Amino acid sequence: MTAPLLEVKDLAVRFGDGEDAVDAVKGVSFALDRGESLALVGESGSGKSVTALSILQLLPYPRARHPTGSIIFGGRDVVGADVGTMTGIRGNRIGMVFQEPMTSLNPLHPIGKQVGEVLELHTDLDAAGRRARVIELLQRVGLADAEHRLLTMPHELSGGQRQRVMIATALALKPDLLIADEPTTALDVTIQAQILHLLKELQRDLGMALLFITHDLALVRAIADRVCVMKDGLIVEQGPIAKVFNHPTHDYTRHLIAAQPKPKAPRTGEAEAVLVGKNLRVWFPIRRGLIRRVVGHIKAVDGVDVTLRAGRTLGVVGESGSGKTTLGMGLLRLIKSDGEIALLGRRIDGLGQTSLRPYRKSMQIVFQDPFGALNPRMTLGDIVSEGLKVHGLGTAAEQRTLVEETLADVGLDRSWSARFPHEFSGGQRQRIAIARALILRPRVLMLDEPTSALDVSVQVQIVDLLRALQDKYGLAYLFISHDLRVVRAMADDIIIMKDGKVRESGPAADVLGAPRDPYTKALLSAALELKMAPEGAVVTAS
Amino acid sequence: MALSPLNRRRLANFKANRRGYVSTLILGALLLLSLFAEFLANDRPILVQYKGDLFVPVLRDYPETTFGGDFDTPANYRDPLVAGLINQEGRMIWPPIRFSYQTINFDLAVPAPAPPSSDNWLGTDEQGRDVLARLIYGFRLSLAFGLILAVASTLIGIVAGAVQGYFGGLTDLLFQRFIEIWSGLPQLFILIIVSSIVVPGFFTLMAVLLLFSWTALVSVVRAEFLRARNFDYVRAARALGMSDVAIMSRHVLPNALVAAVTFLPFILSGSIAALTSLDFLGLGLPPGSASLGELLRQGKDQLQAPWLGITGFVAVAGLLSLLIFVGEAVRDAFDPRKTFK
Repeated sequence: MTAPLLEVKDLAVRFGDGEDAVDAVKGVSFALDRGESLALVGESGSGKSVTALSILQLLPYPRARHPTGSIIFGGRDVVGADVGTMTGIRGNRIGMVFQEPMTSLNPLHPIGKQVGEVLELHTDLDAAGRRARVIELLQRVGLADAEHRLLTMPHELSGGQRQRVMIATALALKPDLLIADEPTTALDVTIQAQILHLLKELQRDLGMALLFITHDLALVRAIADRVCVMKDGLIVEQGPIAKVFNHPTHDYTRHLIAAQPKPKAPRTGEAEAVLVGKNLRVWFPIRRGLIRRVVGHIKAVDGVDVTLRAGRTLGVVGESGSGKTTLGMGLLRLIKSDGEIALLGRRIDGLGQTSLRPYRKSMQIVFQDPFGALNPRMTLGDIVSEGLKVHGLGTAAEQRTLVEETLADVGLDRSWSARFPHEFSGGQRQRIAIARALILRPRVLMLDEPTSALDVSVQVQIVDLLRALQDKYGLAYLFISHDLRVVRAMADDIIIMKDGKVRESGPAADVLGAPRDPYTKALLSAALELKMAPEGAVVTAS
Repeated sequence: MALSPLNRRRLANFKANRRGYVSTLILGALLLLSLFAEFLANDRPILVQYKGDLFVPVLRDYPETTFGGDFDTPANYRDPLVAGLINQEGRMIWPPIRFSYQTINFDLAVPAPAPPSSDNWLGTDEQGRDVLARLIYGFRLSLAFGLILAVASTLIGIVAGAVQGYFGGLTDLLFQRFIEIWSGLPQLFILIIVSSIVVPGFFTLMAVLLLFSWTALVSVVRAEFLRARNFDYVRAARALGMSDVAIMSRHVLPNALVAAVTFLPFILSGSIAALTSLDFLGLGLPPGSASLGELLRQGKDQLQAPWLGITGFVAVAGLLSLLIFVGEAVRDAFDPRKTFK
């Protein structure tokens, strides 16, 4: 029996000193054999990324320290290893792929140069040899027409393509171990399936070990042989996939597995139409030349019909760039749009911003990013009561009562009203954003990816809260999301969008159960089963 | 007065910066003292008791005949004859420094500039005027000038930057080009031209400086507004039905305010430095005005009288340093992410 490729023993990571010290990782141990695939899974703050970065010694030393533990890689302890040793290991024997493909490539260098840089540093290949190897690598990661793409700049590539380039860079020196830190989180579902497929194939062909870090249990099942579940800097459970998923022993693992939004029974039948949009269009002009002549339009939303009904949820699904958020913004008249819009039977599409103001309180919005959606300089009480003040509703005392009621509705303690947004967690902030919209007693609530910035268990809570509020107040939801699992849990009707047009629409059960459109089919299988679509059905990557 | 929790927090943050807090207290005390400069350094007594009646020469002019003199002109209380007349029949209460900024000490034992003595604590300048008295009046004038100029240019700069950043597009484009051309104008030459047409006074000088100083803050405020106008909470406010002006002042301005407030001490010290340097060059306030720049110029011309240069240097450097320390504390106070142990 040989020693494992990577053995992490009782590793701890501490940031800072004295009283302010934060123990991010508190003694984790795991081992990884050659050719094996191990997933580290946990919610944000569980210490999974910090663990991965300590393997490459990429933490901000000396502020970060390892009070205990060792990381044996290829028979040598890398903890405290000198810079020379680490340079030989980084890139050369351990490759790394990061989460955000938009920022991990240097925007000023062509991709051929960036992939070639590793070869230049670590090998003695000449320019022609490097070029050949770079082309081979780019072909290997599935970038079409690689020879002609060497001079492509990163901004000319899509997110999925950039991630492929990152993987090519990481693979350039045939590393023994590839660390992938949430490599698909920033990507669309169909691209995510492709990247997962690629990673798995490369791992099999090259005999690499793969350390895969993610918050998404569904991905773990698709890619890993073994899994370590992390919580608060500790590994609470580890073992083979089948065992951990089918017979979890730790409460937290069980909680994580159970914490998937439950599909609900969609409601059908008649209900009052609250907001109706007919043939809605949002076109952005493309201007060229000296006098900025309009030469064409980007049709972000192109002829879409929507009907929002009281107490019902309309799910709008699509990949990034499909125009789903623009549709919502256009429908609420937050951006310029063409087409008929009727709120409670009254046309609002011709109104100016001032005459529109009284209608605003009936249509509210909750954004994706709970960190950006709240003014950091206002207290919880001020944020929630702002809508009342804008519309001059009620006396000061009535406003206070209403704020307290609304805070109770969204599950926040009313004694917190003097606190600032940064004192709350992501889930709590999303509740504040919901409270701000809810206090005006709107009829329509636009929810723009309200759960995608949140941890899985928090997602479930927010979905439950939204469902309860809908039942209580008969709200019509416009639920925009790329995450079909959440949409399945919320929507009664669904619109599938691509390139500004509706590909398929109808009751949720029909669209999700028996999709007719090939794009819908590909999207569903990629999102719910992480299967890559058959070649040709999804042509988004290249 | 009840403070909102936000302002309580700001006050606590402000006080937590000890150096800035102490600087504020010192600067406040100095400002307060200099506001009462007439009672500190004057060539007339604060109070005169003459034949049982009370007179307040600091506030009012009395003819010499009031005190039994010969002339109908305002009394010169430093004249030994007038002083003798008053002291025969009553008393005078003098300020600690018996010179105003224009008073010439004719009793100097040596030719002016005279070194520090028990009469002139910081010596006299080349015209025999008391340096300490001129320093007190000059400090008040500089600070007042700087404050008014800084506040005015900040206000104009914020409004201009806000409009450009929030509305963007063509408004922004035209305004930016205008500012580029405007700031290309040679400020000093315009000042020289202006001072050759009119004798620059306090407010004409300020107006000319203001013409150019307001652009300092525009780019910062504009950038903040450009950045913030697409923030989710700004869009949420738009969805709530707020008007543009309300959104700008409530949600976007506070972001820009930190930048503005961080710049304020620099603008303030810049304004004071501008006035000082104009006075130094002789292009500033009319001759005879008490000014720090004029003191520095005399210090340069009269190197054999080091008390002039040293006094001017300490005063200007101290004032500017205090302003910077205060600015740091104000910046801390407005920083929402600032945490203290």
